[in-house]
Amino acid sequence: MARMDRREFVRRSLQVAAVSSAVGGVPLLDLLSFPARAAEVGGVKLAVRKGKDIPALVGETLGALGGMAIFVKRGETVVVKPNIGWDRTVEQGANTHPLVVRAVIEHCLEAGAKDVRVFDRTCNDPRRCYVQSGIQEAVEGLKSERVKIEHMDRRAYRELDIANGKDLTRWSFYQPALDADRFINLPVAKHHGISTLTLGMKNIMGVIGGNRGRLHQNIAESLADINSVVHSTLTLVDATRILTANGPQGGRLEDVRVLDTLIASADIVAADAYAATLFGHRPEEIATVAAGARRGLGSLDLSPGRMA
Amino acid sequence: MRFPAWRHLRMACQILCLLAFLWLFLQTEYRGSDTLRYPVSLLFRIDPLAALAAALAPGDFGWLLLWPALLLAALTALFGRFFCGWICPLGTTLDGVGKLVGRGRLSPRPAWRRIKYYLLVAMTAAALFGVQLFGLLDPLSIFLRSLTFSFNPAFNLVANSLFDFFYRHPVPLVSPLVNGSYDFFRDHLLAFHPPAYELALPTLAIFLGILLLERVERRFWCKNLCPLGALLGLCSRRSLVTRAPAKVCDDCRRCLSECRSGAVTETTHRKDECLLCFDCSGFCPANRVVFTLGLRPTAAGRVDLTRRGLVTSLAAGALVAPVAGSAPNLWNRDPYLLRPPGSLAETEFLRRCIRCGECMKVCIGGALHPALLQAGLSGFYTPLLVPRIGYCEYNCTLCGQVCPTGAIGLLNLAEKQKAVIGIAVFDQDRCLPFARGEECLVCEEHCPTGEKAIVFVEKEVWVGSEMRRLKVPRLIKSRCVGCGICETRCPLEGASAIRVINEGESRRARDPWA
Repeated sequence: MARMDRREFVRRSLQVAAVSSAVGGVPLLDLLSFPARAAEVGGVKLAVRKGKDIPALVGETLGALGGMAIFVKRGETVVVKPNIGWDRTVEQGANTHPLVVRAVIEHCLEAGAKDVRVFDRTCNDPRRCYVQSGIQEAVEGLKSERVKIEHMDRRAYRELDIANGKDLTRWSFYQPALDADRFINLPVAKHHGISTLTLGMKNIMGVIGGNRGRLHQNIAESLADINSVVHSTLTLVDATRILTANGPQGGRLEDVRVLDTLIASADIVAADAYAATLFGHRPEEIATVAAGARRGLGSLDLSPGRMA
Repeated sequence: MRFPAWRHLRMACQILCLLAFLWLFLQTEYRGSDTLRYPVSLLFRIDPLAALAAALAPGDFGWLLLWPALLLAALTALFGRFFCGWICPLGTTLDGVGKLVGRGRLSPRPAWRRIKYYLLVAMTAAALFGVQLFGLLDPLSIFLRSLTFSFNPAFNLVANSLFDFFYRHPVPLVSPLVNGSYDFFRDHLLAFHPPAYELALPTLAIFLGILLLERVERRFWCKNLCPLGALLGLCSRRSLVTRAPAKVCDDCRRCLSECRSGAVTETTHRKDECLLCFDCSGFCPANRVVFTLGLRPTAAGRVDLTRRGLVTSLAAGALVAPVAGSAPNLWNRDPYLLRPPGSLAETEFLRRCIRCGECMKVCIGGALHPALLQAGLSGFYTPLLVPRIGYCEYNCTLCGQVCPTGAIGLLNLAEKQKAVIGIAVFDQDRCLPFARGEECLVCEEHCPTGEKAIVFVEKEVWVGSEMRRLKVPRLIKSRCVGCGICETRCPLEGASAIRVINEGESRRARDPWA
């Protein structure tokens, strides 16, 4: 969500009031909750926190942005999208840490989410990935009727036109990811061959259908294209441990560095940009991040003023 | 106990066993644990024909896997061919579906029952001389292959299409009902990945052929052709279960036409043919038939194979095998002949594999597929790894866990990850960075070895008049295990631009002269 100044708030409130009174009793879309758009994104805060205790770390990071209640409203449906792409264990750092996933879901529940769904279109066998990553166990351990971790339903992909698509003008997307009121993007920060790093923008590849390898031919613009369809309400990059080589699948503990860091922002480009610095890269060196900024998905600005 | 109790008991046992085998079939899949919880290939571990194949193959017998088969043979020696009448899922299917197909009473020549013995003799001789054919005609293999390659994929296809249809087209009343039942089907009955095999139709044809033989005669297959029946028949010749009267009665002769296995003849009751179905103790109008368990076995009737038939079948097996074996090695010339990880060297593999299809059912990536002629004439139905369809999952050891004969060795995870299936090679005429100067590197992304076997080098190349900086893949041979995920995931249309060939596979016997 963008921070609004008072004038903007009043103007919008008046608009809402006017429309409401015009349409009368018809239930209205909440205009205020429309996703942050490029123009507003510059002022969006970025929170970075460090800590060993993961649930506490998640709480602190979200707290710095004003808490999950800023992003998830009572009664809303939420998709939490971790990276569950690989048949790898927690220590190997190829998937989002299950404790991060679990804590984020707990915050969604606390904020009053009606329904939280967790899924990912994996690269290895989905059943193995869900089990081996520890995420299935962690989510099911919540024992909440409002939370469901599920495998992708092959019936639920839809082909969509991508307005302003540069590399992709039409692609297949996972409808439940688009239908949810809120989409919380939980990537793990990793090394990646073709895109140098895989972060928040690349994590969206887990909710698209089709022959995904095709995107590699122009990874930066393709990712910007699909991110223009799937909007992340909040991006929380798991850098509790990062994979510095042989990514994104990993497998060697020598390639994993424990950083105990979380990065969160409603601006996916800013979150990715900061994560890039953890690997010693300048954000604009990472083509996908640069493309995201160029295409108006967010801002590369990491100046102290933005940090929450 | 008298009819109907025994008969009903037998039928209940048949149905229960069939259901149990179907349940084991559904469990032949990854269900959240690296080790399968149930002995899903039990059907073949109790299969004396599989044991015979393993015994005649080079290498150790594999007692740990196949002791149940020896137990069954021993029980058969004591009690007769109860397996055929009470347990065999193919026999149960024939009994159950026979009525639908229509049971013929063409009463072919009684001598036809010898065919199964001749087949067994010929196949045993062939196995001794190096070519194993048991798997082709093993009734249990035929049954499980039909399930795996034909019925299960068809069931999944139909069910999934129905679910898809009612999901996309909301039909009042019906759609909510169908959609509501989807979760149950998905979790318990449907395969996780829809199975698909090229040999679906031929496999079905074989199954239907056996079924249609019921039109000629009841249990035609079991009576005249089944080599497992023949083997169990040989075991049961001196069983302790004796029937009285010991031949057909002069005043009735009903057994001659009614006995489903033709065990009662003018002169004797053939223990090696009797399936212990106990029907005769029911239909006998005079209630004369009694089965007794006696410690002193009575003399069994002769199997009475003709000398000429015996010699011919022995010679056929002994001749065919070396002639077939004299052909130049196919696996050495076809680089795409890939076997599951942990497979024995090709000659031993072919002699040990019972063609049951268990590995192809369990394969988590759908990578294993039955061979038609790719592995030579005698390799029909052996498992091939076809990476363009599916890859070998790096952390999975399931095929070795289900193989009932040890043709695919049981490897622990560390051993499996070192087992080399082959090596990936680039087709530089089609691979995008090589051929067109475009980015790709999907193979590198998916490469599962801790240190990637597929790496990349950054190069500057001229594409037309434009200089591009490109990441070009390279393979490091010592790291590649040939899992094939690169070939599966290669985003090109049609054939993959990276393919696994069997060069350097672990199982290959090294030529000491090379």
